[in-house]
Amino acid sequence: MGIVIAVISGKGGVGKTTAVANLGLGVAMNNKACAVVDFDIGQRNLDMILGLENRVVYDIVQVMDGEATLKQALIKSKVNDNLRFLAASQIKDKRVLNSKKVYKLVKELKDSFDYVILDSPAGIESGFEHTIEFADAAIIVVNPEVSSIRDADRAIGILDSKSQKVKDGGEVAKYLIINRIVANMVQSGEMLKSEDILDILNIKLVGKVPEDSGVIDASNQGKPVILDKHSIAGQAYKRISARLCGKKVDMKDVEVSDSSLFKKITGIFK
Amino acid sequence: MFDFWRKKRSASVAKDRLSIAIMSDRGGRDIYPFMEDLKSEIVEVVKKYIGVRGIEVKKEIDGNFEAISIDVFLDKTK
Repeated sequence: MGIVIAVISGKGGVGKTTAVANLGLGVAMNNKACAVVDFDIGQRNLDMILGLENRVVYDIVQVMDGEATLKQALIKSKVNDNLRFLAASQIKDKRVLNSKKVYKLVKELKDSFDYVILDSPAGIESGFEHTIEFADAAIIVVNPEVSSIRDADRAIGILDSKSQKVKDGGEVAKYLIINRIVANMVQSGEMLKSEDILDILNIKLVGKVPEDSGVIDASNQGKPVILDKHSIAGQAYKRISARLCGKKVDMKDVEVSDSSLFKKITGIFK
Repeated sequence: MFDFWRKKRSASVAKDRLSIAIMSDRGGRDIYPFMEDLKSEIVEVVKKYIGVRGIEVKKEIDGNFEAISIDVFLDKTK
């Protein structure tokens, strides 16, 4: 029986889908059977980031409605055999989701994969609520920026009240990813530090991802940035994926840029 | 003229503003003990006339004003 992780953000455009694609692939690279599912009905995007947009035949709504089997609808990754992808429906409205259908699908995925990662729609509407409903854990993606953090807090609030695990008296594990950190802005006091963000949101940190132009380059090509050995964001996703697979990986301080570290070292010799 | 802003780095301004905004966001969720009853009664009333998908009640504080804002989400299929 696998673990179901919902990736949420509250605000859109913070890099949630990119995180799902890279974590899914990263977990698969750690030899775990992983399924990534696009829950953003009506706004399919994960297929593009994974480079699988031409292979989509059946989508999540067709599976839930019994028009296709899960096996038929799951698409195999081009780069890793452990990774499968289930596309969102592009034409249907998100109102087609209901708890019973979602439960059945999530259960079936959980039975056949070690990790099931759900890409939640932005916002805190019904689509979001269905994504978190049957999740065992949630990863919250934020940018070090006020509106993203505030919206994330609201999403966490809904997670804490609407999740089935919480309703059953349990707790959903919550982990934070801070994405798009610009080291020299943090150093000069122009960008929120990760400690401050953790203070405010009061949840555990699972990783920090530095700003990296390689991310757009990767999405242009449909090849998740984790495949790029030279990308600093890709390396960050590698570390986070390993942590998700239970490995102990030290938290790299991406808030100190290599150049300022270099200055410090040369400063000693002055 | 801009000295005031220079004294405090913008990241710490962000932290202060966020802490306050989030505190008030969180407060709105369950600040009144009658919130749940209020919600279900409003839903019952509106339901007499039109389908209801959900309700959201928020407490808002603006200066000396304290207000409750109520959003009722309609379900037009019913």
